[in-house]
Amino acid sequence: MVGKPKIAVYWTGGCGGCDVSFLELGAPLLDVLAKVEIAFWPALVDAKRADVEAFAPRSLAATLINGTLRTEENVEMVHLLREKSQLVVAFGACAHLGGVPGLANLVSREETLRRVYGDGFAIAPPPGGEADDAPPNLLPQAQPLSTEVTVDYVVPGCPPPPALIGLLFDALLSGDLPPAGHVFAHDKALCEECPRTREDRVLTKIVRPHELVPDPEACLLDQGMICLGPVTRGGCGAACPKAGMPCTGCLGPTPHAGDPGLAMISALASLVRAGDEGEASFAGEDAVLDSLVDPVGTLYKYSLPSYVAKRRSG
Amino acid sequence: MSHEPPPANRNPGPEAGHRSGVTGRGPRIGVFVCHCGKNIAATVNVEQVVEAISHYPGVVYAARHEYMCSDPGQDLIKKAIGEHRLTGVVVAACSPSMHETTFRRAAEEAGLNPYLLEIANIREGCSWVHEGPETTDKAIRIARAMVEKVKGNHPLSPIEVGHAAKCLVIGGGISGIQAALDIADAGFEVLLVERTPSIGGRMAQLSETFPTLDCSQCILTPKMVEASRHPRIRLLTYSEVAEVTGYLGNYHVVIRKKPTYVDPDKCNLCGDCATACPIRVPSEFDRGLSERAAIYVPFPQAVPSSYTLDEASCLGLNPLRCSECAKVCTAGAIDYDMPEERIEEDVGAIVVATGYDLYEKERMAEYGYGTVPDVIDGLEFERILSAGGPTKGEVRRPSDGKVPKEVVFIQCSGSRDPELHKSYCSKICCMYTAKHALLYRHNVHDGKAYVFYIDIRAGGKDYEEFVVRAMEDERILYLRGKVAKVFRDGDKVVVWGVDTLTGKRVEVAADLVVLAQAMVPSAGTGELARKLRIACGGEGFLKEAHPKLRPLEALTAGIFLAGAAHGPKDIPEAVAQGSGAAAKAIAILSAPVLTHSPEVAEVNEDLCSGCAICVPQCPYGAITPGDVAHVNELLCEGCGTCVAACPSGAMTMRNHTDLQVERMIRAALAEAVEVAGG
Repeated sequence: MVGKPKIAVYWTGGCGGCDVSFLELGAPLLDVLAKVEIAFWPALVDAKRADVEAFAPRSLAATLINGTLRTEENVEMVHLLREKSQLVVAFGACAHLGGVPGLANLVSREETLRRVYGDGFAIAPPPGGEADDAPPNLLPQAQPLSTEVTVDYVVPGCPPPPALIGLLFDALLSGDLPPAGHVFAHDKALCEECPRTREDRVLTKIVRPHELVPDPEACLLDQGMICLGPVTRGGCGAACPKAGMPCTGCLGPTPHAGDPGLAMISALASLVRAGDEGEASFAGEDAVLDSLVDPVGTLYKYSLPSYVAKRRSG
Repeated sequence: MSHEPPPANRNPGPEAGHRSGVTGRGPRIGVFVCHCGKNIAATVNVEQVVEAISHYPGVVYAARHEYMCSDPGQDLIKKAIGEHRLTGVVVAACSPSMHETTFRRAAEEAGLNPYLLEIANIREGCSWVHEGPETTDKAIRIARAMVEKVKGNHPLSPIEVGHAAKCLVIGGGISGIQAALDIADAGFEVLLVERTPSIGGRMAQLSETFPTLDCSQCILTPKMVEASRHPRIRLLTYSEVAEVTGYLGNYHVVIRKKPTYVDPDKCNLCGDCATACPIRVPSEFDRGLSERAAIYVPFPQAVPSSYTLDEASCLGLNPLRCSECAKVCTAGAIDYDMPEERIEEDVGAIVVATGYDLYEKERMAEYGYGTVPDVIDGLEFERILSAGGPTKGEVRRPSDGKVPKEVVFIQCSGSRDPELHKSYCSKICCMYTAKHALLYRHNVHDGKAYVFYIDIRAGGKDYEEFVVRAMEDERILYLRGKVAKVFRDGDKVVVWGVDTLTGKRVEVAADLVVLAQAMVPSAGTGELARKLRIACGGEGFLKEAHPKLRPLEALTAGIFLAGAAHGPKDIPEAVAQGSGAAAKAIAILSAPVLTHSPEVAEVNEDLCSGCAICVPQCPYGAITPGDVAHVNELLCEGCGTCVAACPSGAMTMRNHTDLQVERMIRAALAEAVEVAGG
């Protein structure tokens, strides 16, 4: 054996859940680990930036990056890893679309810092430290990985479901690689995998998950829950809808959905009904749609940086 | 300058546009700009449009013509398609609903797939509604957008389908009868469905018809008999359309025929059953002015001529409760166990002729209608005037049977009153009120007739003369003004009004008041429209596909409209529309094969998750849910509602994709192309 392929796993602005998600593979993870050499994985292996800088270009077979790009240091690191890697995989919803931390884009960087640290916050080195020791500045906005480096593949999800992680490793280890840009999930929306039955395709009310114990058989959207299943890639086995929770869209939009929020708004506007058709029912329909609490957080929970144009600058 | 040969600007080739002509296989679009006489050229500088568009990427030829739809104009297009090897054509002219067919046919004759030709409407949406230099700029933008659309178009072929050679006519009034007869005479089978026990409709209730004063029944009943005897007409009275599925040429209809409990073949019309029946209910045919038994013939000339046992009024269809009718029926025609029949047929076309009702009495409280017995509506007065009516043709008022000496006729009762009632004009009331007043005067020589009117609308052949005759020869007092109030005072009905010509208040202590009540669509029109998936206008009348050019067609292909279900109209119009609808239906029934536009919605089965959000959006019921949605191309009319609703982009419209629309918008909004020289 000429040496195992080297892989790296890196996190930028994430929660750590993606790193933990590998464990969900269970016993097969051991097979995977036996076949690769982990060259760099801050969550598991003690290696520093200098070690990465010492790698030869393209010496890493694949680097899996999770987390949103939020700091200047994130950007430096992903460029460095890109240089050292044959393949870069956006791993998880943050790297893929911006993720939940991307909702911070609704306010400016300064406002974000003010809310977290209060007034008077300034980036500075620790007392007595060198200027270089200052923490990196935040980027003006959270960004998905693809805004800085070329992304070869995407494993979507928050965190990625083990079945989809398995698909990635199958491809990497077998050498049977899909075309660049491939997303390891289904092209069809997850309604395809959802066992719930769709009957009356009308939306007469909007309810939040805590307001309803849903019927176990019927489509959640038909019951008034804003389930993003129709705009979201399948591949998770419709795990959330099966458990009575609406899909929040972590696998990202289907390839032709375009902007998932707009696609969903279009669908909701098509489905809403209040009374008979005609102008008399418009006000009632507006009232139903207006009852959607936090439309941006609901429709762009994982994808705000990818789809909503920058509106507020510092 | 119009005598000159049409000028043409040629785009020499690749250098003209940075995105076009990279290879010889790029798009080669020709743009043809129409002056439409002054319609476009008065506000749009056509030369500038030609100049600007000729430099647009992908455009290799641009020309203009005074009337592009003329033969020389079409020849210009045909010639250019060949000479310049055009791969697409944009005609910048009027609305596609006008000449799309014209130009697509021309393109086809020149060997270009017709679906590679698009119309850029620079008339209705541009030259007619703007003025000033921006009008030309907008025309250029519209043309550019359509060039972008054509670049994304694919050649298509019409969808072909066979059809049933049978027609369903819904409604057995004069319009439906006429349609049925015309279609049957043309050699096609007809199902004529009528909800009541007899065909004949409203016309059967009328006494005489304006302006000729023909006896209504005398001219109607031969048609009724003809319809009932016609070998190719299957008459289904006391029946209703229960379900309609399918599409143009291939509608599947389910008709419920209610049991009449009387075998029409055995019934000899002796009438003993009705005499024996202990029940009396108001006669619908006589508008409640007389009574009928639970077993009855609506009127003597009814077709089919057989008794009907009205289940709702009967004591119980049960020999233990009452079987008086069966006991006296020597013909043994009465069968209490007669089942409801369910008739299923495939038909190629459907004519809807469900007629009208009068606006509800209860809504005319200001005229005492429904509370004062001697305030009646026009149809009640028709029954009073009819020789076969409750008073045998003598004018007697309902309350005490006296001959009324002073009668007030009120026009526009419920019509032309947008605040309280219907905003539209019921069209026939001016004429029938003149007829009523005139017949009343013929009947009661010493009687006085007053007519309150807003204005007289007598637009029809010999109509004005008829009204003048009523006014002048019969000394009927026409008072211009609205009636404020009608109330009972002793045995009089007092009418308060204003004569707006003299400005004086008018008070008439009348014996009888006749309201020219507004026409409304017959009960159940909306429900039937939903079954047929056709549209109703705001007032509930059936909606035509185009108010000027497709007045006989519903928007759903293969369904045609006839008579007052479509809007207020008089008998000759209802008959003409019946014949017109029949001609339209015959065109379908006689076609060797039907074609349907291929510009329909299409499901990308690799993307559709079967979420079924599209299904209820379709106004034509063309989408069936499943693992993936299925579009019935023949039902699809290409409206695109499903495409907008589809959350995963799996539904697309052929030759109208999101990508095309996006490019069109970009082309329309891009920086203005420099117009050189002017």
